[in-house]
Amino acid sequence: MEVRNSRPGALTGALGLVILLLIIPAASHAQPDPYDILATATREFNSGNIESALNTFLTVPAPAQGEDGGAFVRSRMEAAKICFSTGEYKKSAALCREILDVYPENLEAKNLLKQIAAAQTPKWLRFLKDMGTYFPTLLKASGMTILLVLITMVISPVAGLFIALARISRIKSISFIFWCYIWIFRGTPLLLQLFFIYYGLPPLGITLDPFTAAVLGLGLNYSAYLAEIMRGAIESIDPGQMEAAKSLGMTYWQAMRRIIVPQTYKRLVPPVGNEFIALIKDTALVSTIAMVELMRAADQIFNTTFNIFILMQAAMIYLVMTSIFTVSFRKLEDRLGVYENR
Amino acid sequence: MIELVDVVKRFHDFLAVDRVSLKIDKGEKIVIIGPSGSGKTTLLRMINFLEKIDSGRILMEGREVGYRKDKKGRLVLEKQDVICALRSEIGMVFQHFHLFPHMTALQNVMEGPITVKKQPREDARRIALDLLGKVGLLDKKDTYPAFLSGGQKQRVAIARALAMKPMLMLFDEPTSALDPELVGEVFTTIKKLAEEGMTMVIVTHQMGFAREMADRVIFMDEGKFILEGTPKEVFSHRMDNARVKAFLDKVL
Repeated sequence: MEVRNSRPGALTGALGLVILLLIIPAASHAQPDPYDILATATREFNSGNIESALNTFLTVPAPAQGEDGGAFVRSRMEAAKICFSTGEYKKSAALCREILDVYPENLEAKNLLKQIAAAQTPKWLRFLKDMGTYFPTLLKASGMTILLVLITMVISPVAGLFIALARISRIKSISFIFWCYIWIFRGTPLLLQLFFIYYGLPPLGITLDPFTAAVLGLGLNYSAYLAEIMRGAIESIDPGQMEAAKSLGMTYWQAMRRIIVPQTYKRLVPPVGNEFIALIKDTALVSTIAMVELMRAADQIFNTTFNIFILMQAAMIYLVMTSIFTVSFRKLEDRLGVYENR
Repeated sequence: MIELVDVVKRFHDFLAVDRVSLKIDKGEKIVIIGPSGSGKTTLLRMINFLEKIDSGRILMEGREVGYRKDKKGRLVLEKQDVICALRSEIGMVFQHFHLFPHMTALQNVMEGPITVKKQPREDARRIALDLLGKVGLLDKKDTYPAFLSGGQKQRVAIARALAMKPMLMLFDEPTSALDPELVGEVFTTIKKLAEEGMTMVIVTHQMGFAREMADRVIFMDEGKFILEGTPKEVFSHRMDNARVKAFLDKVL
C-alpha cells in the first residue's frame, strides 16, 4: 500500500509534468497570434470601424523579454495615430510612450510625440517658433543674395563705363554694336534673360552652373542700365571742360580719365544707387534658375510650413539691405559733393 | 613764331573766318576787337586747333603744322599726339574760365604738368605754388573753384595755362563774364604778364587791353580784318571806317 500509495503520487507527478509539458505549448498556442490581431484590427480599420479597430489594436500584448515586438509596436503606433487624428492627444502620447518604454530609440514614436507637442501649441506660438527655427536658414541664404549683389556691383559699373564710352565713340560701328547691346538687355525682361542663359544656352553647347548663370545674367543686364546712366552723366558735363583739358595738351582719354569722368561721380550716385536697390530685389529672380538665395529659401520654408511670418521675415531682411544702401548712398553723395558750393 | 595763312572756317553756310592771314611774332601782343559774330573767337581757337580750318595753312617757326590732306585733298587734323604736343605749347584762357570744379585751385594748376608733361608731383607743386603767388591767390590754393569769385577763378585759369610754360597765350574775352568791379584784378594780372614779355593774342571788348598793352590792334568784322595797326593808328583812323566807328562809339 505504501508502495501503491506512493506510486500513484509519483505517477500523478509525472503525469502532471507530461500534461504540463503538453498543455502549456498547446495553451499558449491557443492564445491568438499578435500578427493575427494586427491583421484583424487593420481589416476593421479599413472597413471603417475605427472604434473597434482601436480596441482590437490595444489587445496586442506587450512582448516578453526576447520576444518579437513587431506586432506590438505596429499596433500601438496605429492606435496612437488614430488617437492623434481624432484629437485625443493625451491618449496618443501615452501610446507613444508605451512603445518608447520597450524601444526607447523608436523614431516613429518620437516623431509622433513631437507632432503631438506641436499640435498642442497654439498656431501663433508655432509660427513664432518657426521664425526662430528658420531664421539661420534665411540668414545663410541672404549671404548668397549679398554675394550676388556685391559681384554685380563690381562688374556692372566697370563694364557700364566702357559701354558708355563706346556709345559716345565717334566710330559709328562701335557705337552701334553697343547701342544694340543696350537695346536688347534693357528692352527684355531680366527673367527672360536668366532663363535664356541657364536653359537656353545648354542646347547651344554652353552649360553654366546656376551661380555663373545668375552672375552673368545680372551683370549683363545691369551693365546695360548703368551704361546709359553713365553716358548721360558724361554728356551732361560742360563741353568747356573737355576744351580746357585739350587746351592743356591732354589727349581725349587723359581728359576723360582725369577731368570728365571724375566729375560724373557725384551725379551718378543717385541714379546708380537706385539701380543697386533695384538690384537687391532683382536677385530674387535668380531663384527661378535653381539658385538658393533669400527668396528661394523663404519660398521653400513657406511651402512646408505655410507660415506667413517666414515671408515677412524675408521682407524684413530685404528692407534692412535696401535701407543700408539708401543711407550709404546719401552719405556718399554728400562726400563726393564737397567741391560744390551749396 | 606762329603764322596763319589764308585760313577759312565755315559753319554750314556761315562763313566765320574768311581768308585771314595773321603773323604772330615772339613777344608780340595782339588785341583783336570787333562786334559779336565777327569771327574773333573762331580765329583764336584755330590757333590751338580747337577749331579745324577748312582751308589755309598754319605755320609754326616757319614749318607747316597740324594738318595733312586726305585722298580727296581735304584738310584733316594730324594724329592726336601731334595736336596735343602743339597745344601744350599754347596756353588758353576762356571767357567762362572752365576751371576743373572737382580740383582745388592748386590741383587745377598742377594738372597740366602732371598729366601732360608727366612732371614729378613735387616739381609740379612748386611751379603751381609759384604761379598762384604770382596771380595773388596763394591763400586760396586749397579752395575749390565754386568758392572763388569770378576774378579769382580767371586768375587761377591764367596760372593753370602758364603752368605749361607756353610760348604763346591766347585770351578769349577774359573779362567778359566778370562783374565790372572784378575786371581790374584780371586786367592787372594780364598786363603784368605782358610786361614780362609773354607773347599773347587777346580777343576782347575791353578797349583797355587795346590801349594799354597792344603792339597791334586788329578790328575784325564778318570774318575779315577790317583794320589793323598800332593802337594809335586804329583809334585815330576809326573815323575813316563807318563800321569801326559805329562799333567803337558803342563800346567806348
